[in-house]
Amino acid sequence: MADFSAAVYQNEFLADGGTDVQAIVSVTCTGAGTAGQSDAGGDAGEIIIIDTSGSMGVETMEGAKAAAVAALGEIVDGTFFAIISGNGAAFLAYPNVRSGPGMVRMDDRTRAEATRAIHALSAAGGTVISTWLDLAGTLFASVPEVRQRHALLLTDGENNEPAGVLDAAIARATGYYQADCRGAGTDWKVSEIRRIAQALLGTVDIIPEPAQMEAEFEAIMRTAMSRGVADAQLRVWAPQGAQVVFVRQVLPTVEDLTARRTPVNELTGAYPTGAWSDETRDYHVSVRLPAKAVGQEQLAARVQLAVGDEVKAQGLVKAKWSGDSNLTARIDAQVAHYTGQTELAAVIQEGLAAKAAGQEELATTKLGRAVQLAAETGNDEATAKLRKVVEVEDAETGTVRLKKAVEKADEMALDTASTKTTRVRK
Amino acid sequence: MTCAACGQALPDGALFCEACGAKVGSAAAPTVLTPPTTANEDESPISTPTAVRPPVVVEAPQARTCAECGGTVAADGYCEQCGAKAASERDHFREAPAPWLAGVCDRGIVHARNEDAMALYADPAVPGRSVVVVCDGVSSSKDSDVAALAGARAARDVLRAPLPQGLGVAESIEAAATKVFVTAAEAANTAVVAHTDLSSEAPASCTFVAAVAEGSLLRYAVIGDSRAYWLPDAGEGVQLTTDDSMAQLLMAGGMTRAQAEASPQAHAITKWLGKDSPDIVPVCGSLDATGPGWLLVCSDGLWNYASEPAALAGQLRAAAAGAAEESKADPGTLALALVEFAKACGGHDNISVALARVVP
Repeated sequence: MADFSAAVYQNEFLADGGTDVQAIVSVTCTGAGTAGQSDAGGDAGEIIIIDTSGSMGVETMEGAKAAAVAALGEIVDGTFFAIISGNGAAFLAYPNVRSGPGMVRMDDRTRAEATRAIHALSAAGGTVISTWLDLAGTLFASVPEVRQRHALLLTDGENNEPAGVLDAAIARATGYYQADCRGAGTDWKVSEIRRIAQALLGTVDIIPEPAQMEAEFEAIMRTAMSRGVADAQLRVWAPQGAQVVFVRQVLPTVEDLTARRTPVNELTGAYPTGAWSDETRDYHVSVRLPAKAVGQEQLAARVQLAVGDEVKAQGLVKAKWSGDSNLTARIDAQVAHYTGQTELAAVIQEGLAAKAAGQEELATTKLGRAVQLAAETGNDEATAKLRKVVEVEDAETGTVRLKKAVEKADEMALDTASTKTTRVRK
Repeated sequence: MTCAACGQALPDGALFCEACGAKVGSAAAPTVLTPPTTANEDESPISTPTAVRPPVVVEAPQARTCAECGGTVAADGYCEQCGAKAASERDHFREAPAPWLAGVCDRGIVHARNEDAMALYADPAVPGRSVVVVCDGVSSSKDSDVAALAGARAARDVLRAPLPQGLGVAESIEAAATKVFVTAAEAANTAVVAHTDLSSEAPASCTFVAAVAEGSLLRYAVIGDSRAYWLPDAGEGVQLTTDDSMAQLLMAGGMTRAQAEASPQAHAITKWLGKDSPDIVPVCGSLDATGPGWLLVCSDGLWNYASEPAALAGQLRAAAAGAAEESKADPGTLALALVEFAKACGGHDNISVALARVVP
């Protein structure tokens, strides 16, 4: 049985007339178990979506096949699964059925059959990702006992369809299944694939070399199978008359959840968090309250982790108005850290976009600020990736020069990793 | 030598067999008792019930109502609606054991918690008898809030029974009553010490004032600077107790009350209850009331703002004047009004006010 706990980091003291309360709520899950094994979560389903468009080429295709086979090895027996081959349209590569349930339970026989089906795939045609997403949704829907739904999507090229069509497909999948997305090589668009991954509560990353695919797929599937809590919600209660300014996940990645609120009741909103393994996620919550008199105390938010209708953990965010500026002027270290990390993600993405648009001055300013923030908040991964794109003259002041020759893969790696955050250094 | 029952070898002089427990020298094996069987063996209880107890009814904790918006206070201590922090039961409580006796104990404004404590007793069937105990926990020590309340309640329980009459002569009555108050102070001290973290550098400590009204006779005892006053309806009021405080020492040295109570060390007490107290014998006294009036027992949270008996009597009259017609003589209403008066003056300390109506 999974256990959740919540810890709150904040400076609860507000100056006279102060209204905005900020807090980091750290939620930890232990004892999650294995996907599809809990009584409450129903069965787990995994769909592997492999890009089989003509651009894949022999080497990438062989890498993708080996990776998909490796991923099969990680899927726990008894889990429902299917393989989709996607190009200009989506095809059910395995199981070989034309009607009825489009997924089968994993066992030695189905694993061997699926492996043969994967080896038989060949590359041809275009890339229309909306059809892949829709087929995955249809397959999940064909097996009602599957209630924990996860897909692994690999693509190598830009999507060949109007943005609105893909967005509509993403919207149909949102809240129904989760998807981790990987881009092979450098011909795909980070912003496009990130849109899919963010909406479907998954990760996005680049796999520059075909040889790296196998290990990456194995790792993704191992993580997916360790998510024994099928679905959980973050709930935020704020008092009457208050306003929830934003709710963001800030660890392990920055994801703004503010717009994804669904009302639970008049004062409580729920935000999707998907499936959980044994892990810690941090959330940054900001609430605006009507100011009270100095000396008054009140609750600014109840931040809860709910599985189904059951609240598993709760953190209390408080507000105390004080006339002591020593108390009110302090900014909580965790809040400061994650505010910096959120800005870091934004300036990296804005900087790279400016660079792509040829606005070198703006790109230099933004990426300079990114170098500064990465150093301040101790995000070594971001620092290392930034150094491949810019020459750092002074990290402390954020003085940088754009590198003349930059590997496209390095730039994409910086982009995909921009939302990854690190904890406060103790 | 061997055991006749089990054959075990026995040392010389053994009285019982180490192996089977049989008495040495008895030829027979130890008797095994078998319970007699009855006809309806399966239905018989193992033993007959000795008493029929009513089922224990555990009352669900009553949902408290938010003082700010009228919403429900959640289990986490905050309102479900407006988020206001609900005052804890410890921060503000009232007691009204009989129509003639009531009190209010309140956190005040400035202090973070209520270290004052109050315990009242009156039996509605015994008119004119009131027991009041107030303990003011010392805020510089740890757990004083818990200790002070335990102390006040322990002393009250000692004072529940009517005061003894001794041998009936005045001296004997006085001595017997004093003995009860000394015992009450000891009980309070024991309770305070029992609630003290023994490893604490600043052990819990508190003041102590107890007063008992029986008809026209008021008896009281004090340790520290919590006070009992007699405020008659007609004539001048008096402060019954004398503080064990620096201010009192300064006054004894010739300073006026106003000067002494304004001095920086005025509130330092020279006697207290607690693990580190050198002297827990209270100073006792009595007064025979000649007319109707109020016995007022309070902590310094009230008298800081009205120390002279005349000033307190004035506040009491003002409270009665401000009260609705039917509650002009209600001790609960008046005590609450005095607490509000202290809070309006700044509420710099915890406030306890208990009022007992005395009608000779």
